[in-house]
Amino acid sequence: MFIGTDKLTHTYMPGTPYATEALKEVTFSLQRGDFALIIGPSGSGKSTLIQHLNGLLKPTSGQVFFEDQTVGSDKKGLLLLRRRIGLVFQMPEDQFFSESVYDEVSFAPRNLGLGEDEIRSRVIDALEKVGLDAKQLQDRHPFQLSAGQKRLVAIAAVLSLNPEVFILDEPTSGLDPAGRKNLFNLLKMLNRTAGLTVIVSTHHLDDVAELADRVIVLQRGRLLMEGMTKDVFARRNELYDLGLALPEATEIMYGLAEKGLPVRTDIYNLAGARKEINKLRGRGKK
Amino acid sequence: MINRSETIIEAKALAFSYPGGEAGSSPALSGINLSIHRGEYVALLGPNGSGKTTLLKLFNALLAPSDGEVRVEGISTVEEENIPRIRRTCGMIFQNPDNQLVATTVEEDIAFGLENLALPSAEIRQRVEDVARILGLEALLRQQPHLLSGGEKQRVAIAGVLAMQPGCILMDEPTAMLDPAGRRDVIDTVRRLNSEQGIAVVHVTHFPGEAAFADRVIILSQGCLIRQGTPQEILTDLNLLHDLGLQGTTAVELAALLREDGFLLPPKLLNSRELVNSLCSLELIS
Repeated sequence: MFIGTDKLTHTYMPGTPYATEALKEVTFSLQRGDFALIIGPSGSGKSTLIQHLNGLLKPTSGQVFFEDQTVGSDKKGLLLLRRRIGLVFQMPEDQFFSESVYDEVSFAPRNLGLGEDEIRSRVIDALEKVGLDAKQLQDRHPFQLSAGQKRLVAIAAVLSLNPEVFILDEPTSGLDPAGRKNLFNLLKMLNRTAGLTVIVSTHHLDDVAELADRVIVLQRGRLLMEGMTKDVFARRNELYDLGLALPEATEIMYGLAEKGLPVRTDIYNLAGARKEINKLRGRGKK
Repeated sequence: MINRSETIIEAKALAFSYPGGEAGSSPALSGINLSIHRGEYVALLGPNGSGKTTLLKLFNALLAPSDGEVRVEGISTVEEENIPRIRRTCGMIFQNPDNQLVATTVEEDIAFGLENLALPSAEIRQRVEDVARILGLEALLRQQPHLLSGGEKQRVAIAGVLAMQPGCILMDEPTAMLDPAGRRDVIDTVRRLNSEQGIAVVHVTHFPGEAAFADRVIILSQGCLIRQGTPQEILTDLNLLHDLGLQGTTAVELAALLREDGFLLPPKLLNSRELVNSLCSLELIS
């Protein structure tokens, strides 16, 4: 097991009248290089789970694993862990505190105690990875950037740690379609080319579903489903009952199948739907 | 009955520049001439940074024009003494419901704006009960807002605005942070208020599927109003949308790809149901 949890339980404010069980005996595991989605209604525990994966919260009971080791609570171990597991919060640009893009992105590598040259190369590399022009933007104030650029700077600020696992909590909210597309291309590159393990929590499956190897479904802090994307998304009615929605392209395929057309329904994007619908015509001609 | 030919918000030669913007940088908005009518549902689309949020804030007197003017029910937004009336007439709903709920119970939250109007308490109680009934919040009135789902929180925020008996609701990406069930909840609620109560809606969104419900779709780009028309006209014009980095609905995008492949689909397909029906009527399989 590369990263995962074993019977992870988390209670906020335990022992008080406000005690809330945010996670209840959640067990799952991922392999190195997986691309995983965490989905579930609001309040199902997605953000809590994500914060456990990089050691920001301590389990009430149960364990978090990374490379077959239990994630402990000693400070040094946790610092090492957070270098290797990068976490991008929801609306990360709300947490900008630096005067320039360069300072923002160099904050984390500087804390690693690296030399100035290494820091500079990490910053330039991270900005290039996210598709921003380092020369043009590094001296700008973060607040002068567009919403899409801000999000990318926030992501570069985490990538500058060279993490092996990259976790993003609802990374597309507030981005326009071009920004979303950019972001998904970046995640695809990081996963497929750079070999990072990527974990994304999201309500918007339309673009990201085709990238995912595995899907984890949470409801009220419990793990309801976990498995290959295809197997989880085949349980459409259960997902509906949870208030979740499949990608629109998948819905179109189900619509056609319900009208009696012989099409596959494990299709998650436009290209897949186009190909599958074109096959119908081939069959028609025979 | 509301008079749908009557203007509720009018912008004339409206321009706005943020103070402290770089010299020579382009204004956030310029040359906006626009009338919103009573009972009208207007969707506002545009890339990040195109001026959508700025326009809403000008409508609501949160910002004052740099040039030109905004009139709400005929009164100017620059006169200090008009501002309370303008904000009652044009209520605003923001992206993140957590940032706009202020009280410890749902009913106090709905009553918050009314209390600031110094209305008699019997009147306040009556209005809270009325809007709770309209929005299906009766059972939640004693709840703490932070315990609600995202969709419920947004409905409470809408209730707070509705209690002020507004003529228009301004919404800035009200579904961006919500799960699919929450999105449906908010959209259904707003559409109902629009059709049953005749409240005008100006809805900023990145989701073309949400804009499809509008009477009129307006496109902003780089601070200018560049196109407006019915959802059918605007949302099926992929050249326009793609040039701006926007997308059509999945159905519109897929229909365009299938037309390239020689499928004889009607030109103005807007949603998945229409696409499925059209494909089925092609009798692809004999």
